[in-house]
Amino acid sequence: MKTLRATLSTLLSLLIVFPIVYSISASFFQYTDFTALPARLFPSRLNIGNYVRAFSESFLARFLLNSLLTAIAGTLLRMAISILAAYTFSFFTFKGRNALFILIVATMLLPSDALIIANFMTIRALRLTDTYLGIIATSLLAPTHIFMLRQYFRMMSVEYREAAIIEGCSDSRFLSMLLMPMSKAVILTLAIHSFSTIFNDYLWPLLVTNKTSMRTVQVGLTMMGFSEQLDYGPQFAAITFLMTPILIVFIALHKPIIESVSIRFTGR
Amino acid sequence: MIFPALLLAVLFSYVPFILTFLNSVHAVSLGGKRLGFVGLANYRRLFGNPSFHASLSNTLRFTLFFVPTNIIITLLAAVLSNRKGWLANLNQIFFFLPMAVGMSSMLMILKMMFNPTIGIINRLIGVNIQWFNDPNAAMALLVIAGVFLDIGFDFLLFSAALRNVPNDLKEVALINGANGFQIFRHLELPLIAPTLIFIVVTNIKNAMLISAPVLILTEGGPFRSTQTLVYQMYLEGFKSGNYALGSAIAIVVFLLTFAALLILLHLERRRIYYR
Repeated sequence: MKTLRATLSTLLSLLIVFPIVYSISASFFQYTDFTALPARLFPSRLNIGNYVRAFSESFLARFLLNSLLTAIAGTLLRMAISILAAYTFSFFTFKGRNALFILIVATMLLPSDALIIANFMTIRALRLTDTYLGIIATSLLAPTHIFMLRQYFRMMSVEYREAAIIEGCSDSRFLSMLLMPMSKAVILTLAIHSFSTIFNDYLWPLLVTNKTSMRTVQVGLTMMGFSEQLDYGPQFAAITFLMTPILIVFIALHKPIIESVSIRFTGR
Repeated sequence: MIFPALLLAVLFSYVPFILTFLNSVHAVSLGGKRLGFVGLANYRRLFGNPSFHASLSNTLRFTLFFVPTNIIITLLAAVLSNRKGWLANLNQIFFFLPMAVGMSSMLMILKMMFNPTIGIINRLIGVNIQWFNDPNAAMALLVIAGVFLDIGFDFLLFSAALRNVPNDLKEVALINGANGFQIFRHLELPLIAPTLIFIVVTNIKNAMLISAPVLILTEGGPFRSTQTLVYQMYLEGFKSGNYALGSAIAIVVFLLTFAALLILLHLERRRIYYR
């Protein structure tokens, strides 16, 4: 029974991880390895030619730069906006506070994919197409982050802040020296989530960029032209190059990642 | 200090929602200007449009195939790998690793793996399935792609829920002669019900919004057999410049996802087993 379970589990996990392993393997294939009979799972010999071609015959480096810049800037802005809003909602009382909070959180009910036509018109009217700001503008508001940060901030009582203020501590000092260090773990988790969301976005960057030099890597990957010519090696190399750093991070941090989900979604 | 958040909420959620609705009841020029109020004419045109019928039925069909497939595979993965030891650990890593691969990377990998002539899948199994030219195979491909895109995150959620099932309860059940399946059916399943409901509803919502796999893998083909609502909205809005019709589709999509969320809220309120 135990062996059967372990065997089934292992077989299923191999099936799920197969595209990743095959992509890494195929990134070293030679052209003939793809058509060899019987079908090859591993390269006939290691060659890095595909990697060289992926970079020299496409704008991969530029795509990557665009993606990194937008994801880093977007994450920083998104976290700053979320933290400020959550802080205000947790520690201040003012007229209409709950109504405004609901107004912001209720944007979760309006899926951004259904709003792309109207949002595109706004971005075009603001002349922000083909700009970094245009790529990140619609993802700067993260209602889920504001919601979770507020839950977290509220665990600390309002008296804390009042005591600190009486002792002569300013709001900005209280936020940056006390509250943020205390909430380091949740802020880091949300920041990682933001980064991967913006980095992996596809439909919106596809719509607001037209120039090849402004494409993000997720959009650029599908337009490299290698796969249309059935020239799979360089395409697999580009994908493998992109995913490897993230794969390493995920494997190295698998314990905290599994645990952070357990805390976030089951409230333990 | 809530001003930036409020501004963004208004500028990129509420205003576009109102604009989408207004566009859907007006005639709209190619430049995006509203010309005249036309009432429900756009919706009438939409519901008489065979292309829209295809989108609506394909989206619902995709949802119907995708959600159970994804839930069964992901739940199976979580239950089977909820053990101790290095092998279980390795299995768990493999199950959530697809999450580390970007959406378009994963779709490009699948697109090349499923190429009928030189892709590894057909050659490995020794079949000749026309994944991109046979309507049923193309729909199956979308479902497979959906599973690979979603399994990482859903697996983590299921695993977290399963780990929270108290071990002493399982031991008592074992001592009383329950087998593995009975423990799952009568002990674990009721206890993870809230997570299950959450995943089912978010899956339904995501399935009704599916667009990237269609754009990258099938482009709606063959013969519109995989054309979905958001994909048609993209075609009408950005390829044909038909903003009014695109906006009417957006409102339909919005209503469908809103219904899914209402069902979630309803089920959440009725949940019995949680804690």
